Amino acid sequence: MLRLVLRGLATRKLRSALTAIAILLGVTMISGTFVLTDQIDRAFVQIFEQGNAQIDVVVKDRPPFEDQQTEVYLDADVVDRVRDVEGVALAEPFLQVQGYLVANGEQLVSQGGAPNFVFSSLPQAMNPYTPVAGRLPEASGEVAVAKEIAEQGGLEVGQAAQLATQAGARDVTVVGILQFGDGTTSLGGSTSVIAPLADVQAWWSLDGKASYIYAKAADGVSEDELAGRVRTALDDPGLIVQTAAEDSAEQASELNALIGRLIRFALLGFAGVAVLVGAFIIFNTFSITVAQRTREFAMLRTIGASRRQILGTVVGEAFVIALAATLVGLVCGLGFAWGLNRVFELVGFGLPATGLRMPWQTVVVCLVVGIGVTVLAAIGPALRATRIAPVSALRDGAAPPRGRLARLTPVIAVLIGVLGGAALAAGLTQDIATEQRLATLAAGAIAIFIAVAILSRYIVRPVVHAAAPPITAVAGGVGRIAAENTGRNPARTAVTAAALMIGIGLVVFVTIFVGGLRESFTGAIDDSLESELIVTAQGFGSPLPAEVLPAVRAVEGVAVASPVGGTPAQIGPGTFALIGVDPADIDQVYSFDWEQGDDALIAQLGADGAVVEANVASDLGVGVGDSIDVVSITGATATFEVRGLYADEQFLNGVTITQEALGPLLQSNATGINTLFVKEAEGADSAAVQAAVEAALEPFPTAQVQSNAEIKEQIESGVNQLLVIFYALLALSVIISLFGIVNTLVLSIFERTREIGMLRAVGTTRRQLRRMIRWESVITSIIGGVLGVLIGILFGWVTAQGLEAEGIVFILPVGTLLLFLALSIVAGVVAAILPARRAAKLDVLEALQYE
Amino acid sequence: MSTTEATPAPPARGTGDVVAATDLTKVYGEGESEVRALDGVTISFPHGQLAAVMGPSGSGKSTLMHILAGLDQPTSGSVIVDGTELAGLNDQKLTLLRREKIGFVFQFFNLLPMLTARENIELPMRIAGASPDPAWQDTLIDAIGLGDRLSHRPSELSGGQQQRVAVARALLSQPAVVFGDEPTGNLDSRTGAEVLQLLRRAVDEFGQTVIMVTHDASAASIADRVVFLRDGKVVRDSGRMSASEILDTIKTLE
Repeated sequence: MLRLVLRGLATRKLRSALTAIAILLGVTMISGTFVLTDQIDRAFVQIFEQGNAQIDVVVKDRPPFEDQQTEVYLDADVVDRVRDVEGVALAEPFLQVQGYLVANGEQLVSQGGAPNFVFSSLPQAMNPYTPVAGRLPEASGEVAVAKEIAEQGGLEVGQAAQLATQAGARDVTVVGILQFGDGTTSLGGSTSVIAPLADVQAWWSLDGKASYIYAKAADGVSEDELAGRVRTALDDPGLIVQTAAEDSAEQASELNALIGRLIRFALLGFAGVAVLVGAFIIFNTFSITVAQRTREFAMLRTIGASRRQILGTVVGEAFVIALAATLVGLVCGLGFAWGLNRVFELVGFGLPATGLRMPWQTVVVCLVVGIGVTVLAAIGPALRATRIAPVSALRDGAAPPRGRLARLTPVIAVLIGVLGGAALAAGLTQDIATEQRLATLAAGAIAIFIAVAILSRYIVRPVVHAAAPPITAVAGGVGRIAAENTGRNPARTAVTAAALMIGIGLVVFVTIFVGGLRESFTGAIDDSLESELIVTAQGFGSPLPAEVLPAVRAVEGVAVASPVGGTPAQIGPGTFALIGVDPADIDQVYSFDWEQGDDALIAQLGADGAVVEANVASDLGVGVGDSIDVVSITGATATFEVRGLYADEQFLNGVTITQEALGPLLQSNATGINTLFVKEAEGADSAAVQAAVEAALEPFPTAQVQSNAEIKEQIESGVNQLLVIFYALLALSVIISLFGIVNTLVLSIFERTREIGMLRAVGTTRRQLRRMIRWESVITSIIGGVLGVLIGILFGWVTAQGLEAEGIVFILPVGTLLLFLALSIVAGVVAAILPARRAAKLDVLEALQYE
Repeated sequence: MSTTEATPAPPARGTGDVVAATDLTKVYGEGESEVRALDGVTISFPHGQLAAVMGPSGSGKSTLMHILAGLDQPTSGSVIVDGTELAGLNDQKLTLLRREKIGFVFQFFNLLPMLTARENIELPMRIAGASPDPAWQDTLIDAIGLGDRLSHRPSELSGGQQQRVAVARALLSQPAVVFGDEPTGNLDSRTGAEVLQLLRRAVDEFGQTVIMVTHDASAASIADRVVFLRDGKVVRDSGRMSASEILDTIKTLE
């Protein structure tokens, strides 16, 4: 029987290849995703291992609660106690902060969001950086830079530059150019500058502070042993003592959890869509071929093949196709990963690189998914093949019998749809973990896709009848025949269209969803802000120097400059933002959307009053008059009384108190100013004011000034970039569904060979025949496109309802939707090219004699 | 029936009836639209006979063959094939029965296009997971006279050659009975004659039993026995007849 399977596939090469492509592309994405994230994972591990290669023990601060966004510091003089521990050969405090060099008027910052680091210098014996030119910095005002930055800025040893610090720009001299580790490890686009510890402490307001204490063991003392001794000697629950290996593993896994997992999750999601579309196509292809091979299966049955053998033949065919497609897909995955690397590089988000490798788990996952999904999709048609009566071999025009459940199909489909709807509703409204929520939503969406795919067969005939007159008017007689052909086998047309529907549906959904997201940001700017300019610090979450506030207030044409800053704090069971505002003028730049209370409250907040964002308050379970206990990241505690509630998901999403009350809760380097809202004087020239503010901030290079319009533009372009990525990833699913249309057309032309010969015999030209096939394709793709747009709108609307509290709004981008419909028509035309040519090439005589 | 000389592997069969049907009826539909395709047919076919079943369209001849071959169930009556009562056999048992005891030659779609002629001949044995008797296979291959065309695909063979391959396929497992469904219906008279001669040899030299449905008088004229059906009943059951006698009989039936 295996020979039968292999020979059968070899004879139907085109069909087999088209079917294989349906699963191949999905497997390629899965394989590529794992190859890519494996590469990122290994790169992070390598970075931290090389960073810690010269040291044995790490001591760090244990914050009162976990918050990965915030750097914490310990007292640098802990190093003295570490040095006293027996077996410690060397111990040094180490400080890492964010900052960058400015040389020749150019900011030497990373491209695409990787961090810009400033590290304190360590003795060479402990330092992962070694000079390739010059030396490590020693005196105040000296810096050394990684060779990547030196290349970027054309820096040389001895060159003067400026270091952008939290205290403003500082003049420095480049004394060395460094390489990290063995020089082969990419740092993923991040930049690093090394300066003496005292400079870093002074310029970042971290006097007497360190990020870590590093210790190196004397000969013959192991890492574990030394860590144990240091832990015992320090005996401080506020400090964490780890071996260098533990520390690097922890840091790598934290970063991987942040980046690798995110990329994997997103890419696998899109790969899942591609696989789902592939499953539809495989199901359809096998349904059609089983129907066409009714005689063959019946003949096999009459000459003694059992039902199980028939099942084996069909499933075996699916298995062989899937195996071949998966193996090819695995290899293509390497190419996919390579391509993604190039894409990330192009958009300036260089991924940390190591060589591409195919982990064995990837092979297993791809084989299981590729073969599993294909066989699962083929099992229905295969079971149908087993129900073919042997006597069909002796009868004309036989088709496989309908299953026993066929009459119940619509009922089952409706049931699946209802369950899917329930899952969507539950996923949006229930309070569950993010991963469960996404899984529930995905299951709901898949169920709805399947239900619509099944039920849409009932709309195929009405749609075709409605479409026939206009198509006939445009395309003449062949248009009419094309319409009838499409309606001839509604289930087949419906499933083919459904494959396209999934891709288009998701494209429409992300368009609507991301549009709503953008609107929630830009809408908040319009609704909440009464200021015209915003000053923020470069580097995510970095504070602005305190001197910025008086500098901006002094600018002519500035009416109000109001500072807003914050710190993460543990309140009740969770971590929330504690936000400090200036009660004197916040109401002039920001308009509170009060649910309880009014602007007058702000002036009376004092040292112990707070107003709370409404959703945060409901998470905390507090209302006006309740008091809340707060633990800041430094461990400082405070109690506030809730005086009012307001709604704002964007700017003040947390517990708002006065700047004065916030001060004691901040770390030593934080100024309490993360943002300045700047309001112009009445009648001032906006452009002139912005230029003046920029000029006033020149000594503080980390401060950046943007107008509200510029921020909106920035959001807009970020959102558009996101959309482009989504579209590119969904395009693969749409392409797969095109192969589905090609496959269905090729198969239906094959079974209509005699009919096509007849059409040609009675005078249909090749051109007309091609046009007929093209219309069949376009009708199918329009059904898929319309269903996709409708289902995408539905998903978008449901999501917007579910996330209304997060400020997501529902907007219908009519123009874009029409464009997608037009694109689906184009897709239909493209898909018809090959089948139409095949149909037109048929020899009239041979076709007529074809059985 | 003639005895054979120098036949390497004549199937060892007892005498007596290979296929015996008793009081077969087959009713399609109900009430007004009821059609009695078979109406009390009792007939048996002894070992080593080439029998032709004839009758006009709708006479029930195809239905009779389907039921005798276990492909269709009678409404009532019994069928015994080589000692096995078919009534009450499930699909699995019927499949095994077809595999072991019955060979088929069809009018259309006889061979799998992706297999060579030789592979098509061996197909039922492969399905059954058995290996053919090599001597018997050689004899058969010799008998169909395909020579070096055995490694060709069906599309490269003429209609007559394809049908001879189909006959060899039906005979390879040495079944108790071979059923033919219009085996010459799709062939011209010359190539049809070649296929008929092959069937004749199968009976004469190899001791096979063949039952074929046909409405070709010249095909029926090579049979040892001609059975005429009309309206679901056997109306004439005769020994060997000439083609013209057969044509006359058909005229009286229509």
